[in-house]
Amino acid sequence: MKLGRRWLPAHILVWTYAVLLVVPLYYFLASAFKTNDEIFAHPFAPPSSLGLHNFRTAFEGADLGLAVVNSALVTVFSLALTLLLAVPAAFALARSTGRTAAVVEKVFSLGFLIPTFAALFPTFLLAAATGLFHTRLFMVLFLPATALPLSVVILVQFMRTIPAEMEEAARLDGASTFAVLRHVYTPMCLPGIATVLLLNFLTFWNEYLYSLVIIGPDPEQRTVQVALPTLKAITGTDYGVLTAGTVLTLVPVWVVYTVLQKRMQQALVSGAVKM
Amino acid sequence: MRSSLTRRGLLAAGSGLAATAALPAVSGCSSLAAAASDPDTLVVHTQLGTTAPGSATYLSALDRFRAQNPGLKVKNLINGDDLGQVYETSRLARKEADVVMVNLYDKTLAWTDVDATVDVGGYLDDWRLRERVLPAALSAWTDGKGRLRAFPYFATNWPVAYNRALLDRAGVDAIPTTGDQLIAAARKLRAKGIAPVTVGGNDWTGQKLLAQIIQTFLTPDEARHAYSTGDFGSRGAREGIEYFTTLRDAGVFADKAQGLTSDTMNTQFNTQAAAAQSAMSSALAKVPENVARHTEVGGWPLADGAAHDKPTVIRAFTLIGFWISPNGVRKIEHVEKFIRFMYGPETVARFVQESGRDMALHTDAVSADFPLVAAAQRLGSGVSEVLLPDVYVPPAATQPLITATSTSFTRGTSAARVRAALESAYRSV
Repeated sequence: MKLGRRWLPAHILVWTYAVLLVVPLYYFLASAFKTNDEIFAHPFAPPSSLGLHNFRTAFEGADLGLAVVNSALVTVFSLALTLLLAVPAAFALARSTGRTAAVVEKVFSLGFLIPTFAALFPTFLLAAATGLFHTRLFMVLFLPATALPLSVVILVQFMRTIPAEMEEAARLDGASTFAVLRHVYTPMCLPGIATVLLLNFLTFWNEYLYSLVIIGPDPEQRTVQVALPTLKAITGTDYGVLTAGTVLTLVPVWVVYTVLQKRMQQALVSGAVKM
Repeated sequence: MRSSLTRRGLLAAGSGLAATAALPAVSGCSSLAAAASDPDTLVVHTQLGTTAPGSATYLSALDRFRAQNPGLKVKNLINGDDLGQVYETSRLARKEADVVMVNLYDKTLAWTDVDATVDVGGYLDDWRLRERVLPAALSAWTDGKGRLRAFPYFATNWPVAYNRALLDRAGVDAIPTTGDQLIAAARKLRAKGIAPVTVGGNDWTGQKLLAQIIQTFLTPDEARHAYSTGDFGSRGAREGIEYFTTLRDAGVFADKAQGLTSDTMNTQFNTQAAAAQSAMSSALAKVPENVARHTEVGGWPLADGAAHDKPTVIRAFTLIGFWISPNGVRKIEHVEKFIRFMYGPETVARFVQESGRDMALHTDAVSADFPLVAAAQRLGSGVSEVLLPDVYVPPAATQPLITATSTSFTRGTSAARVRAALESAYRSV
């Protein structure tokens, strides 16, 4: 298909946008193979060697392997708990028509108004009081609490799009409330669940401040976001090593994002056909 | 459509098993709490251990200490710039490490006062380690109430490194020792496209150089007063600020110095884009061999009427020291073993020889593999010393002073505005 001249501005904009995305990515990846002097003296030059020295130094120096496992543990269990709480909550709110439900839904939305930093000290006190300070368990309990407002709001909107007739038909077949949630609402809300999973995965994996303060610096427990800054030194940071470490920690994010994005698209399409 | 009992049973059993397996994993069979309260585990919280200068030597020292003390476990917790915040919250929860290895700077200045750490003077005497420490280091680590905040360990020389080859290329015959010579050298260097003095005007390196230049006209007592109170109104302080702005507006500092950081500073010097930098020992240790072989170290040039008779350098003894926490007091016999080991002549010598660190302890070791560090150690009475302001600046003014530094390095900012910026950094104190 031959495109006319009127498409030229669109092409220019698309390519400019692509370059804007690719240039920092290239700079980031190239820096992972360079020394400090190369990074600062010739920032956009290709690396003179593709040796993995920086990656090895970062991986061993900051004990990134264990940190990735810790981050995975915290993230996976937090995601599971978030879904376990958000799906039934959204199901109940989506099906309710009373004033109480409207108030409860607004209460969930109020969660957006709490700035993350403002909750740090009370959260620290809670962790200390419950004896869960310096444990990953506290973060597994805490992260879903921070994620619930957005998760519930998203899922409620998805569940409201499901026709009431679907539930009525299931009820006629003798389905219990749990069965309606399990066999009707959950499969039809898979796009919403995938969205919630993806958004929360990125938030949980990248969480730094609370992990630093609550879980602490113990290499056996710290997450990857806490381990990574140990590669930075006030008296001179090796940016090649730091960038290589960052690349390593981004690999799981890239994998999950790619997989979930595909699932989300599949779920969207199949959901549309079913409806 | 109703869920079968079998499936429910399976789901319940699966969830139960997952929870049973997961909870110990995430709640910490190996939690720090357990290690901190374990009487046979010494917990050390440090900034050494990854890429900070001296980390490799420290980790190998830890291995040797473990081998010598098989019944004692050592847990090493590493943080970077955020160590202070992490330690303080741990202390609030009474789960802090036993020993902390960190500089006397910013937050840590208040630790002894608020009982976050203990006075170690008594231990220093009981363990007969006082004679191992340089007197100047003991003085620097002792607070106004006579309490020794920590066991001194690392020190640093902070000379000015001059790239002799670049000066020669620009036609500068000698290392500048006066402000006029420095300005003349800067003009010649700029004519050849070489940045004269590179500095991190946007961070602590700029703050230290600014303090060093202001102290050109200050006696130690006057400098102590200025940096403790934020009163830069004395004649000497005003002349020092004038001297700084004169040098700055004459083009002595690298372009856009107000936006540079210590990393860009080191890189400009190490890649020979700049002819001079004010650098501490750890930075001198990283100067590449091809640059180091034609680099000389000296002091900052003086102005007419200066309070010093020789170019100035900073010598600091308040880099990493060993702080003992209240938890550490409960395991004091382990702490004693650890500090005795780290104070041992062999361990100290290794830091000097392998990592090029300056120490706050007596040692005969020389940084033979780090020629610039060794040269700085030999400067001796050939230079005049000025104070490192870190110990005197109240914690609340530390970060505002960095902001004021960036303003100061901005060309065209008048001396009066520089003074106002410095004094306003103390408003929240």
